[in-house]
Amino acid sequence: MSRGWRPLVVGAAVVVATFALAQAQVFAPSAPAEPGAAGDAARGESIFAGKCASCHGDGGTGGVGPALVDTGLAAADVSGVVQQGRGVMPAGIVSGQDQADVVAYVVSISTPSS
Amino acid sequence: MLLADVSETYTDIVTSVFSSTIAAKAWFATAAAILALLQVTTAARIYGRLSFLPERGPAVATMHRWSGRVAFLCTLPVFFHCVTILGFQAPDARVAIHSLLGTFLYGVFVAKVLIVRDRSLPAWALPAAGLTLASMLVAIWLSSSLWYFTTVRFGF
Repeated sequence: MSRGWRPLVVGAAVVVATFALAQAQVFAPSAPAEPGAAGDAARGESIFAGKCASCHGDGGTGGVGPALVDTGLAAADVSGVVQQGRGVMPAGIVSGQDQADVVAYVVSISTPSS
Repeated sequence: MLLADVSETYTDIVTSVFSSTIAAKAWFATAAAILALLQVTTAARIYGRLSFLPERGPAVATMHRWSGRVAFLCTLPVFFHCVTILGFQAPDARVAIHSLLGTFLYGVFVAKVLIVRDRSLPAWALPAAGLTLASMLVAIWLSSSLWYFTTVRFGF
């Protein structure tokens, strides 16, 4: 092999290795927060105000992102969207205990007040 | 779980400075993109272009080398989060383009470093590789940090 090809070949190998690493997601949290469990809605409200309200509006009343109030969201669905993202919403804005707390808060405001 | 602990520890460290890991990525990528533009500017000066800038010489070459090294360092936290935690995703065009460019970034970086050290290659190879690398960094910034700053929030 001509020496001139070396940068391309090594570069291509790095691209393949990066893609393989991305597919493996070796440090992705493997244990999602239990939907609603151990979540502190009061603490979640504070986190929501700092990290979610810029799109979903104060108290989840809607803004750039959809309103969450009285929408009857299930904790598992909220967890899934927080972890995976949806549309323009990036994945992983909150994680771990923060995620559990935010999920608890979102479920609390999304439960129809009837 | 050990791997989950790594992710949690990383999140704790990052959020001790930034409001979220996403914000940290946006700012590290911004620093890398600015340094990439400095790379292009200093490289152009080394090649005798942009004659209105300070004269060519060791200072420009030193600035070029160090801006590259620091830019590379700035990309590492982003690489860690995007590649090892989030992985390759393509839910929409922006994220798909971002993932694709991110996957190729370090390959182009390694190729560029090898081209720097290979005197047998044509003269155009190095500026072509450098421009490709800088363009990719800026495109990655446009598809992530700029989107974050304009759509989610502008802040630390």
